[in-house]
Amino acid sequence: MKILRHAMLRAAARLVPSQERAEWLEEWSAELWYAQQSGVVDADRFCLGAFQDALWLRRHASQRAPRTASWLASPSRCLLFLAGLDAAALLAILPVPRPSAPIPLRAIFLLMGMACLILLATTRLSLGDYPASRSAPSLATRMRRWIFLAAKMALILAGMYAGLLLAASLGEKTRTAAVLVDALLCGSVLAFRWALHDQRRRCPVCLRLLTNPLTVGQRASWFLEWNCIELVCLRGHGMLYIPENPTSWFGAQRWQYLDSSWSGL
Amino acid sequence: MIRMAGETKLSHTAAMILQALGAGHVYGLSVMEMTGLPSGTVYPAMRRLERDGLIRSQWESQSIADAGKRPARKYYRLTRAGKATLEASQKRYPLLAKLAPVAETGQ
Repeated sequence: MKILRHAMLRAAARLVPSQERAEWLEEWSAELWYAQQSGVVDADRFCLGAFQDALWLRRHASQRAPRTASWLASPSRCLLFLAGLDAAALLAILPVPRPSAPIPLRAIFLLMGMACLILLATTRLSLGDYPASRSAPSLATRMRRWIFLAAKMALILAGMYAGLLLAASLGEKTRTAAVLVDALLCGSVLAFRWALHDQRRRCPVCLRLLTNPLTVGQRASWFLEWNCIELVCLRGHGMLYIPENPTSWFGAQRWQYLDSSWSGL
Repeated sequence: MIRMAGETKLSHTAAMILQALGAGHVYGLSVMEMTGLPSGTVYPAMRRLERDGLIRSQWESQSIADAGKRPARKYYRLTRAGKATLEASQKRYPLLAKLAPVAETGQ
């Protein structure tokens, strides 16, 4: 049993951010030793709690340190990256013999529909609150944000189509083709999720990724108090507030436009 | 949730953990034993409290642990802000103090 408990702790440790993992495992292993010695608490249940602790650390780390210094911060680079992936997929399927019959449209729509259904069931589709204000940009600028989202989706769909072409070339009834279609479905859902998440973390004016995350308020005392992660557009267009604990009065992320008086900063 | 006399607010779980730490139960396991809370609740709550500056953690000396032929433990103590928060919560909720009397010497 002792081996199993240590295996549980090691499995939970995989969830902990790497820089904290060694110390975390040392603490839990030490406490497990005492739990087994004293016999006051159920050692198995004690080990199960390690997963909750590890998940909390993982979630906390991902919220505090989003990958803001990414190469994908620029919207054009982001689209270029997706286009590059599509081009790579097309190059990969070039040597593959073409399918004897064209892919029926219903197969494409079926895959898209299933991906959308899974997305609806597993992902928050809201992109947040962007309240109108005097500092809000023109309609044309605001439309750019939607065009950018549509372009990302279109490039993801193009990747899906390339994958379907590959699956079709393998033949309808082969096991590899079936596995490929399943993988394509999962990949599409993940790609759409990423597209939405990426869209939420971008400035609605310049479309660059927001940076400088800062925790406002205390997570341990969130009741009726402002408690969120604050991100800022480095070009001074505004600030984004993401609730750490979504509540009825602060459920979705909220954008605040900054007026021209901030431009000097 | 508890709203105290000051501006600081705590969850019941956090208040119980602060009370346990104030009473001298400085290890996660002993906090579990005292409060009856499971490990999956106690440890994440302590991480939050530490992040918010109400408690701080420290590893005991390896030489002491080696002398006792046991693994070194990480212990937690109240910070000044944590003590003030605990006192405020005890004034508002006297029953909290009955959970465990806080050590006279403090932490």
